[in-house]
Amino acid sequence: MKDAMEQKKISFPRYAEYNCAFKYIVEQALGCKYVMPPALTKRTMELGAKYSPEFVCTPFKTTLGNMIESLEAGADTLLMTHGLCRLGYYGELQEQILKDLGYKFDFINLSEYDMSKKKEYIRIVRRINPRVNPAKFLAEFMEGVRMVEYLDELTGEYYKNRGFDASGGDYDQAYREFLTAMYTARCRADVEEGYRAARRAMQAVPIEKPLRPLRVGLVGEFYTVMDAFSNLELERKLSGMGVEVHRWMNVTHQFLQYSGGQKNMHVKIEDLCRYEMGPTSTANIWYARECAERGFDGIIHIKSAACTPEIDVMPVLQNISADYKIPVLYLTYDAQTSDVGLMTRLEAFYDMIDMRKKVL
Amino acid sequence: MEEAYLGIDVGSISTKGVIIGRDNDILAGEYIWTQGDPIGAVKELLRRLEGQFDKGRYQIVATGTTGSARKLVGAIVGATMVKNEITAHAVGTTTFHPDVRTILEIGGQDSKIILVENGVAVDYAMNTLCAAGTGAFLSSQAKRLGIEVEEIGAYALRSEHPTPIAARCTVFAESDLVHKIQMGHPREDIIAGVCNAVVANYLSNVGKGKKILSPVVFQGGVSKNEGVVAAFERTLGCKVIVDPNGHLMGALGVAILARKGSGRQKFDFAVENMEFRTREASCGGCSNNCEIICVYRGDKLIDSWGNRCERGAKVR
Repeated sequence: MKDAMEQKKISFPRYAEYNCAFKYIVEQALGCKYVMPPALTKRTMELGAKYSPEFVCTPFKTTLGNMIESLEAGADTLLMTHGLCRLGYYGELQEQILKDLGYKFDFINLSEYDMSKKKEYIRIVRRINPRVNPAKFLAEFMEGVRMVEYLDELTGEYYKNRGFDASGGDYDQAYREFLTAMYTARCRADVEEGYRAARRAMQAVPIEKPLRPLRVGLVGEFYTVMDAFSNLELERKLSGMGVEVHRWMNVTHQFLQYSGGQKNMHVKIEDLCRYEMGPTSTANIWYARECAERGFDGIIHIKSAACTPEIDVMPVLQNISADYKIPVLYLTYDAQTSDVGLMTRLEAFYDMIDMRKKVL
Repeated sequence: MEEAYLGIDVGSISTKGVIIGRDNDILAGEYIWTQGDPIGAVKELLRRLEGQFDKGRYQIVATGTTGSARKLVGAIVGATMVKNEITAHAVGTTTFHPDVRTILEIGGQDSKIILVENGVAVDYAMNTLCAAGTGAFLSSQAKRLGIEVEEIGAYALRSEHPTPIAARCTVFAESDLVHKIQMGHPREDIIAGVCNAVVANYLSNVGKGKKILSPVVFQGGVSKNEGVVAAFERTLGCKVIVDPNGHLMGALGVAILARKGSGRQKFDFAVENMEFRTREASCGGCSNNCEIICVYRGDKLIDSWGNRCERGAKVR
């Protein structure tokens, strides 16, 4: 009982479906309690927008609003990531805003640590829980990382195939059950079995694809391109129209397998752009051209309003679009929660690539 | 009885309707203001269309709706085809101008560019977060200057030295414009400057990075403004075609799509005398709290939407 009182109640804002892995790492590896923040809703956005600077990028507002909701749910320790763009300043500003509002909490801001040094990670872990067992921590942390890899693998498969589900909903069901299994996993066996069961279930669903299905590649800013609430469920809408949705950008590819999978990516795009322009620019340009060369029917570029690195990517995408004759749809998201305008643009994009494919 | 097809385009500012025959010949066409009441506007539109064509000879067998209120109006008129306005415009224009390469479109709240190759749209762009440089800006500036929006074109053409006006952002353009008025620039020059600003804004926002090839067709409500047409021709250095039915192109496009579609539903003009009302309901089935719009004819619920999952469908 005393132990439970001392346990930190840690929260990290909602980010796509990765919170199941955060939960696993916090509870199993760090031995603390994880406070699952409520799902992102209109209220999150209203709270975040109310206390944010007007011209900040949208993910700042979403995460700030969600931090407030976490504190309301009982969290006493908030964790914020570091980053290579304005994201690197999020933590400091959010901590200040929340403290000014009168909330009492401990704030662990990864930007305050030198994340290139291994020693720093040990410092962070010791700060969260001084009594952590290093061997157990490492084993469970790696399992959490594996959960991220499984999640990215099956999510990728899911949006490539769900538009062609011949069973009328079994595929969606299998994916939903997979997410439930990950959110409730409490040990290694739960993760591994949940993943394998989901993969079997998904593979068992009959998929009927035409010979040449419409294929669309998604590129864009790290948060908005992945988070379904932030991009107004773009992947669900697009795949629901009967399109194969391909997205390279995810945590696995960007951080976990980056060095193994696509090392020296910038060399491949040297003819398009010579300098690193931001955290995800090189990967986005590389993948956009990859989509064009693989004969995709279109590319959708997603960013939150005023995301400078992604604005810099747009001229390069325009060149790719002209060189390979591939249409690119540019979408900018702000605090709006109505999807009427998005549907108009998506339907038109679908009609266009569909008619184009039939003629060309 | 010959078959006819009805197309309705309900935009933010204006409501357009056409009835076409089997060879895309226009039997009736009408253009009225929406005035924030799409249901009322459509009833008025139907009343006017009804009087324009020979009801003894033609029977409307398919109806299409487009524009930002397409779903609502589609539910009311029992549409067989509900299509977004970008596709409708592309289909309409390529039907009447098969050799077109670029379609410029400026409406009340939005603007778009559609690039066409071999009669098929191959790329498009539409303004996203900001409505700068659209018809709404022109009409608010006309009001400020005390003239009717329809007169802008004639004023602009009389100007010899258009006043330069900052075009980046409508808010900045407006304050720039006020300064220029107070400095004593003649009204004609200011209006011509506004037209140039609309074109500059369009080309740097929507047209950015797009290769504009001739023949160019310009449509949407703003295409009726000769001042903006002249500014486009000067900037692009090529002729800009304005179809006499350009303001009806969205409605024409969706009527053609309804004709080509498989859905058939005889249209009854009785809807113009029916009572429709809408109600917003919060689903409450889960934490998403989707806002659901319910459409009633009299007391009967005829359609609802806005739910993100099947849990919200029960409101029906």
